[in-house]
Amino acid sequence: MTTFAAPTEPLVRIRGLTTVLNGKTIFDALDLDIPRGKVTAIMGPSGTGKTTLLKHVTGQMRGDAGQVLVDGQDVPELSREKLFALREKIGYLFQNSALLTDFDVFENVAFPLRQHTQLPEVLIRNIVLTKLQAVGLRGAAGLMPAELSGGMARRVALARAIVFDPMLILYDEPFVGLDPIALSQVLKLIRTLNETLGITSVLVAHELEAIKQVADHVYLIANGKVVAQGDPKTIAEDGSPWTRQFFGGAIDGPVPFQYPADDYAQALGLAGARA
Amino acid sequence: MSAQPRRNVVTNALAQIGEAGLFLLTLLAAVPRSLRHVRETVRQLWFVGAMSLTIIMVCGLFVGMVLGLQLYYVLSIFGGTAASGTVVAIAIYRELGPVVTALLFAGRAGTSVTAEIGLMRATDQLAAMEMMAVDPIAYVAVPRYLAGLIAMPLLCAVFCALGIFGGHLVGVTWLGIDNGTFWSNMTATVDVWKDVVNGILVKSLAFGAVVSLIAVYQGYTTPPTSEGVAYATTRTVVASSIAILALDFVLTAFLM
Repeated sequence: MTTFAAPTEPLVRIRGLTTVLNGKTIFDALDLDIPRGKVTAIMGPSGTGKTTLLKHVTGQMRGDAGQVLVDGQDVPELSREKLFALREKIGYLFQNSALLTDFDVFENVAFPLRQHTQLPEVLIRNIVLTKLQAVGLRGAAGLMPAELSGGMARRVALARAIVFDPMLILYDEPFVGLDPIALSQVLKLIRTLNETLGITSVLVAHELEAIKQVADHVYLIANGKVVAQGDPKTIAEDGSPWTRQFFGGAIDGPVPFQYPADDYAQALGLAGARA
Repeated sequence: MSAQPRRNVVTNALAQIGEAGLFLLTLLAAVPRSLRHVRETVRQLWFVGAMSLTIIMVCGLFVGMVLGLQLYYVLSIFGGTAASGTVVAIAIYRELGPVVTALLFAGRAGTSVTAEIGLMRATDQLAAMEMMAVDPIAYVAVPRYLAGLIAMPLLCAVFCALGIFGGHLVGVTWLGIDNGTFWSNMTATVDVWKDVVNGILVKSLAFGAVVSLIAVYQGYTTPPTSEGVAYATTRTVVASSIAILALDFVLTAFLM
């Protein structure tokens, strides 16, 4: 696998990323590093742009300013061919798994291999079965996506994401809607992939207890910036208003309960009565 | 007050046509890249072509039968039932074959293409392909577009064959028009290039290009919601129907 940056450099380096969507500032000169070979969690209140950040890393979106370097390559500046070449080294686990509904489990996992290689069928079969065995679903190879539970679909998507042994895997809300058994399975898989293959992993999630079990480093994003970062076991004790509200689950705080709106009394037509 | 909405409707329609035109250029530019997905094109040809055969054959047969019946009663007033074969063939080759096939194709295959691509967008399957470094235009859009383009003339030929068979069934077998007169008048007056080629090949290819473009474009650009997919599917039928009939007039004017 060709690498473009020194092995000691962070795999993902974001500097001064500024993104404005529909007049709302999503990122305000955001700086962030994803170290190689580690599991990094991105946390933050809903709507702070965590998934948007993953889209910047994969070149699905471009910021208004700033740099997004992945393995030393400036993603927004890459040509389509180079971007696709980079994406072959990145696995992406979608929140809803995004399995191809026309294909069965086997063909879903085989899809990237069939598109990008000329491997003989026997080799494709062996690679796919190896990946399915790794996620515990070799026996489900013949099932269609509609026949899978949410947890199983997530694991198939994970098998597909690792079929090329990528250098980086991005997980978008991998724990949502999983029962405790499926959650444990996915946590174990993420950790195993990281430890056995040395894959750099980025998790976007809300579940602190799950993050504590799997992540090496946590970034808390709010208001377009990194407001806290550190070890997942101690970040909640950071003491800042952001961490107190987010990890304590306080209804009001730096993140307001109410979406910005006009005066409530005025909206109800009570402004005059109050006066 | 009243001029504003009218202008918006017109402007929106023109903008949609312009965007569809740009989308067509994107499709055509992706054709060389999609050549490696020949199997996918063949698979789509099965879905939009072979799977549409039943409706095309049944409708072709009944259109021909109705035509045979109507013509027999009208022409018998003037003692001209011998011309029945000629009129059935010319009406089917020149107009009914390509137009009805295209309308049926838009309703059967066009809507399914729009809904399928729209749902693929809504469920992030297109985004997943992008993330797997697979170009969804080359893998999803172009094969469906080419399949529609190839399928339409073939379906039209089947429709015409069944239509003429239906006209023969009613006129000759049931109502007693002379078999030899039916066929000889038809072969004497129907021109292969002017009637058959213009109808089955030229018109059908044009309709196939337009209906497939509308179906793929609507699916690809649909908002990723259930309501968005529903509207896009409806728009495929409405826009295709209007485009087919308008284009038919233009083509007929030029091909006459």
